[in-house]
Amino acid sequence: MDVKKIRKALADISAEQDPTLKSAKLASLCSALWAEHGVQLVVVGGSAIEILTEGAYASGDLDMCHVTAATLPIRQRRKIMGLVDAKGGPRNWQVAGMYLDLLGPAESFARTPYRRIEAPYGSFLLMKPEDLLVERVMMSFYSGKNQTAYDCAKILIAVALRHEIEMNWDEVRRLANLPEYCNLSECLKLVREVADELKIQNPLHPD
Amino acid sequence: MNSKSKIPCIPIEGSISWKDWLKGRRARRESSKLVAPGVIRRKSSSSDRRLKKLFNGERGLPFTPTEKL
Repeated sequence: MDVKKIRKALADISAEQDPTLKSAKLASLCSALWAEHGVQLVVVGGSAIEILTEGAYASGDLDMCHVTAATLPIRQRRKIMGLVDAKGGPRNWQVAGMYLDLLGPAESFARTPYRRIEAPYGSFLLMKPEDLLVERVMMSFYSGKNQTAYDCAKILIAVALRHEIEMNWDEVRRLANLPEYCNLSECLKLVREVADELKIQNPLHPD
Repeated sequence: MNSKSKIPCIPIEGSISWKDWLKGRRARRESSKLVAPGVIRRKSSSSDRRLKKLFNGERGLPFTPTEKL
């Protein structure tokens, strides 16, 4: 990407006052710049949930991981992030009026693909909703109830049940049965609760 | 595409265009708010210091109201 285009993108992102648009545009720009160096990034955690659900959850930091096996040496990371006037580093950056955290390799157990958005500065990846859901359900009940994680899991379920994001429910069931999560009963219960609340057929209990 | 409402769906395979992602924002917000009303942003985290410094005492920019999405 040439410098002129980067400057234009940076001005747009810096001026953006909608937090979700700002995150998505920054993810788009950074994904494009890192891809030029062979590293594929993915938006993870609450940042991904926000872009998938508009749930009014995320704070002013964008969390990204790398999908490709290796990341870049610190010097090269600084060089790339220098193109967007980022301050700080080598993992946490202040850029375009928000924070970007580059957290390391992405953790995913789902066999479904990362979701992809064709954004203004290049396409970017989002963590798989199947992973996000089972993980948030686990966080909801891990050492006592965590209301924020619980709400996050509910919004993901609601948006999926209303077919605004495509969720592979068989994969959700498989993941929840993995020893890494082992929370199928909690997942079944929460999906049933949201399906009942919305009066929508429960895909994990089709009868 | 959600066949009933023509609201673009974020698909498993392939990608969603920016235009369609934008078009679906309001519907996704409305669905989310049916089960978790209001702003559900965490009240605190280990990033509070830097966030509150950057966002004038808040943990991020204010969310755009649903009717403006």
